[in-house]
Amino acid sequence: MPTDTRLELFRLMLLQRTFEERTWALYRQGRISGSMYDGLGQEAVAAAAGLALEDGDVVAPLNRELATHFARGVTVADAFRNFLGRGDGPTFGRDGNMHFGAPARGVFPLVSMLGNLCPVVVGAALAFKRRGEPRVALTFLGEGAFSVGDTHEGLNLAAVWHVPAVFILQSNGYSYSTPSSAQMVNTNLAERIQGGWSIPAVRVDGTDAMIAFDAIKAAVERARAGEGPQAVECVTLRGHGHAAHDDASYVPAELRASFAGRDPIELLEAQIGPGAAVVRHAVVEEISAALAEAEASPAPDPAAMEHGIYANPL
Amino acid sequence: MRSDERVFLLGEDIGHYGGAFGVTAGLFEKFGADRVLDTPIAEEGFVGAAIGAAWQGERPVVELQFADFASCPFDMIVTVAAKTHWRSGIAVPIVIRAPNGGGVRGGPFHASSPEGWFVGVPGLKVVCPGTIEDAYGLLRSAIEDDDPVLFFEHKGLYRRLKGSRPPEETRTPIGRARIVRGGSAATVITYGSGVELALGLEHDVEVLDLRTLWPFDREAVLESVGRTSRALVLQEAARSSGVAGHILALLATEGFELLDAPPAVLAPPDTPVPFAPELEDAYLPSAHTLNAAIEDLLAY
Repeated sequence: MPTDTRLELFRLMLLQRTFEERTWALYRQGRISGSMYDGLGQEAVAAAAGLALEDGDVVAPLNRELATHFARGVTVADAFRNFLGRGDGPTFGRDGNMHFGAPARGVFPLVSMLGNLCPVVVGAALAFKRRGEPRVALTFLGEGAFSVGDTHEGLNLAAVWHVPAVFILQSNGYSYSTPSSAQMVNTNLAERIQGGWSIPAVRVDGTDAMIAFDAIKAAVERARAGEGPQAVECVTLRGHGHAAHDDASYVPAELRASFAGRDPIELLEAQIGPGAAVVRHAVVEEISAALAEAEASPAPDPAAMEHGIYANPL
Repeated sequence: MRSDERVFLLGEDIGHYGGAFGVTAGLFEKFGADRVLDTPIAEEGFVGAAIGAAWQGERPVVELQFADFASCPFDMIVTVAAKTHWRSGIAVPIVIRAPNGGGVRGGPFHASSPEGWFVGVPGLKVVCPGTIEDAYGLLRSAIEDDDPVLFFEHKGLYRRLKGSRPPEETRTPIGRARIVRGGSAATVITYGSGVELALGLEHDVEVLDLRTLWPFDREAVLESVGRTSRALVLQEAARSSGVAGHILALLATEGFELLDAPPAVLAPPDTPVPFAPELEDAYLPSAHTLNAAIEDLLAY
């Protein structure tokens, strides 16, 4: 892997981690409403998937993939604007936290009903296939989404239609408080997706950014080359609870211990060496400047609430 | 499909077979498998795929085999299709065709008129033609529209209405009702199969075909009732569903002083559609029950 790819992965992961540390603080101060979700421990998967895509590709990130947004060129200031509910943010204050997309960047906004975006991304890939465009559509599925019917319908359509869709399976051990073993009997998602839908799938360590990147990149390029849908299962452990109100005290100490020393950012930083410090400094600067920019943004105007319900208003 | 390459169809048994009601007959042979896609039985999945394709610039037209099956992709319609433009600026130009209505002994799962599930949902447009011209004109308008449009087509009218195809440039504007027949003693506000039924009345009543159920043409309702001073809502959807409640609310809040009589509703009872002929015939509005309802309204 070229050094610049490794550095970029590191930068993206660090952007997500630092951004989320900042939003946690803002949330505790009451400056962010609603709740707070983060991707602690899963940043490598988010960064790798984002970086594996080309300019014309499209993606539907979920709760724990902020680095994917950044890799697509979504600005840090825009992400802050959404968390702060600002009127000039990506959802104009109409939706919060990581529920946002970027039409110009090929990013579809998160829908809370996890599993919904699986068929949507398959449809985008179908459009590419119909037009003969060498483009790829990617989304993520956690263990929770794997229990949802939409996921099965979407995977089946992807396989039957043989479209260039890539599914990143986020095996982080939990769906809210429910361990994977209570969601399914066979928790090896790669095995299930390969056996159940005949979609090629590999299972990798999601705490190792380089391994995740190589696997996802290869899957994306196979899909682009016309080999049909692909899947990569990335095994991690969700660092925090489902959201801010959830202390995740139900995660057994032994499971936590098995992930000790596997912080994805520290692992990659050790490989990069002294160059990492420069990136760390730049990221902190970027986050601070972007937050200041977002905080100076206007609040949404209640008078404009009904605008945009329709693309063609009656 | 000839005029726009982006238009493609997807649904169950719509290819070689031509659709459960023959609506797509011949299109597979003419346009090929890339434009007429037979899907697995997975409404949530293929409506979702239509949304994704629309996101990427296509104009998918989805066929649900029966409108009753709109319960299966409900989440995709009200959660994803309806809310996406408002919160992101991404347009979702999909059309979902759904044969509704009874009279064919379809029973509780093949004869419903579930359009009311979607009436009142911000971000959706809901249309239901009652004439051949509007079946063509509304479908063309729906496909050209940049928003998600639910297109309910009455399966009884497939066979009962006969006529030639309107000129290719025919478009029925979404959001506009039409006075199908002028009259002065009362206004029958209806849509879909109700239009045919109302036109059979021998009274001096105006027949207002809503055509678009959401967002419906409030001005046209108030304008007509302003002239006739009496209103009857006729629908094949069960009484507490459909559009009746919305029309009554409009008349109560903005049309109260226009009225010489309490507005009336003729609609089936609040039950699923029954199967046995004796039951279904009693369930559906008929020329006889409509006549009686109008007599009562005019006698008030």
